[in-house]
Amino acid sequence: MASLYERLGGEKAVDAAVELFYRTVLADGRIARFFEGVNMEDQLAKQKSFLTMAFGGPNKYTGKDMRKAHERLVAKGLNDSHVDAVIEDLSRTLRQLGVGEKEVQEVAALANSVRGDVLNH
Amino acid sequence: MTLLTYREAAIEIEPGEDVLSALLRAEIDAPHSCRSGVCQSCLHRAVEGNPPAAAQQGLSNAQKALGYFLACVCVPDTPLTIVPAQEAGTRSEAVVHSIDRLSGDVVRLRLEHDPVFAYRPGQFLELIADDGLGRHYSLASLPEEDPFVELHIRLHPGGRMSRFIAEELAPGRRLHIAGPLGTCIYEGVDPDQPMALIGSGTGLAPLIGVLRDALRRGHRGPIRLYHGARERDGLYLHDHLWALTKRHTNLHYVPRVLSDSGPHGGDVAAAALEHENALPHTAFFLCGGEKLVGRLKRDLFLKGASLKQMRTDTFLPAGSGR
Repeated sequence: MASLYERLGGEKAVDAAVELFYRTVLADGRIARFFEGVNMEDQLAKQKSFLTMAFGGPNKYTGKDMRKAHERLVAKGLNDSHVDAVIEDLSRTLRQLGVGEKEVQEVAALANSVRGDVLNH
Repeated sequence: MTLLTYREAAIEIEPGEDVLSALLRAEIDAPHSCRSGVCQSCLHRAVEGNPPAAAQQGLSNAQKALGYFLACVCVPDTPLTIVPAQEAGTRSEAVVHSIDRLSGDVVRLRLEHDPVFAYRPGQFLELIADDGLGRHYSLASLPEEDPFVELHIRLHPGGRMSRFIAEELAPGRRLHIAGPLGTCIYEGVDPDQPMALIGSGTGLAPLIGVLRDALRRGHRGPIRLYHGARERDGLYLHDHLWALTKRHTNLHYVPRVLSDSGPHGGDVAAAALEHENALPHTAFFLCGGEKLVGRLKRDLFLKGASLKQMRTDTFLPAGSGR
């Protein structure tokens, strides 16, 4: 069976999702403050990297990278409720793009699998 | 045959090896993260040679046209001379052609350069004074039409470069330039696409370059040029732009003066955010101070504009790089 990444449409699917996902996240009052003052191009590249990982695609993101990338945010109070919000926004984005419910759940599960690294647990 | 030259030094590269690995092996502290062509943190620019297409995937058309590439997925088969993405490259000599006042604190500096300085309108260069003092200024000229390179420079009281320009520069004077840099150029815009050019102060310089480039290439879609200034005097090309709208029916000029309560009074960002509505289809060019560009980029994006369709040139205070 094709990988989840391939079933979703590979890099094209990531490209379609990345701006919509980032716009959803920036407009989400629960988490928008964590993105204040960041360089939007850099952030979009990171979102792309994250989505490629969440779709189960080719990405060398490691637990170590995840911890390092979110250290500053954990210091600012990042917790489980914010990770929940991000996964919820990601699921909403995918549904808007017409992705099937089964795949949405798979992506959410992959995103959830890095929760411990993101929160430095 | 040397395949890889980095900042003018030859770097050994093994068959099949990517540029990032070769740089790291040569103990060059090249920024990187994902190592799979996704995160773009290893962005470099080829100043000579053409990077393979696979090394430019995911970059904007403007970046591709200017030789930018991702070092982690770049396996060159022809020689490349590369520099880090933010580096201007080698210096060369230029001669002052003329220097004129455009307004109270803005001067127009025209430089002659031999051989021809290759650039696209909207890019910027580094201007270097005698003692190595360097500042970035945007290019307002059009290489196809102008025999000189034109910069619009705001003179800051007490600024070291401003003093050099005001007191020492005169026609015939030699100085150095390096570059060009920046991706705020017309490349990749569709001729029928709406364009919105938004800037304040000397942010008008790159916008004028892009505007002239678009008109020369026969751009058919509507073009809206927003220029903001603190005082009326700061709309330093007002009459010229007004005249240009008479000759090009698809060009609209929207001046805004902060201190004014008249018909052209108000904040340029607010005017642009209010008037722009074809957002996902519009090519945006945002030029000026960090605050203005940051606000426009974020608010336009949240309203539905695509970051891929935004080209920006952010003016940073002296000494902080760009």
